[in-house]
Amino acid sequence: MRLTCPYCGERDHQEFTYRGDASARRPSLDSQSIDEHNAYVFDRANPDGIHHELWNHTSGCRTHVVVARNTVTHEIISCDPVGPFAKVMK
Amino acid sequence: MVDQPEMLSPLHDLAMPRAASDTAGVELGERLCASLVQVQAWPNTVGRVEKALSTLKGEITIMPSGPGRWLIEDESEGLEDRLRKKIPSAVGAVTGLTHGRVVISISGRKSEWVLASGIAIDFSTDAFPVGETRLTHHHEIGLTVHRTGETSFDLYVFTSFSRAFWQWIERAGEEVGYSVT
Repeated sequence: MRLTCPYCGERDHQEFTYRGDASARRPSLDSQSIDEHNAYVFDRANPDGIHHELWNHTSGCRTHVVVARNTVTHEIISCDPVGPFAKVMK
Repeated sequence: MVDQPEMLSPLHDLAMPRAASDTAGVELGERLCASLVQVQAWPNTVGRVEKALSTLKGEITIMPSGPGRWLIEDESEGLEDRLRKKIPSAVGAVTGLTHGRVVISISGRKSEWVLASGIAIDFSTDAFPVGETRLTHHHEIGLTVHRTGETSFDLYVFTSFSRAFWQWIERAGEEVGYSVT
């Protein structure tokens, strides 16, 4: 699998580290609900189709990238930068 | 005042100059940097750091190494102090890496071929023009690759991994013949 880093260009996935499901949302810090925290840590949709996932370009520019990947065909639909430097990405 | 001890390359006994047994496809070499500094801007100060870097004088090589981040080599010492004066911490972070990297150089007609045998990036001049920089790895050893010419590259390797990397590049060079300068 090859991913297109928004800064470095197309690279082998071995340069990247998987950082989990990009659609998981952490409950607010004051949330007392065990169920909400449990769902954030453990519950995943596991779709057959488009899945958004976080990858970090650890062996390159170290940017976090949201990759939209089709879990059936392995097609990479998009690779978008996230984080405070996403706006200044060349 | 006691004199500073001379810096010893971690490759001092490995990278001994030697001629190729036959014709050399690549020439290998190593050097230590006089000054190597990383500068990281904050998300809202990227333009200000770029401006500060554009005023640097001397034998400077500026290598972009990430969004708002640069690796800068100077052929003379003291670059870290000069950059700290230009870039206060409110504008960016200046980190001295002079002792943290060894530069392994490879040149010759087969240099692209030898590098491509272990590093998964496109080394053709169309994809990787002269003067540009690529960040990648070789078997988990992080590398900054700077193309200094059509057939010459400087590889900035972590000091502590440089012996392992050197041993690989020698083995890879055996296929086409190598000499060490």
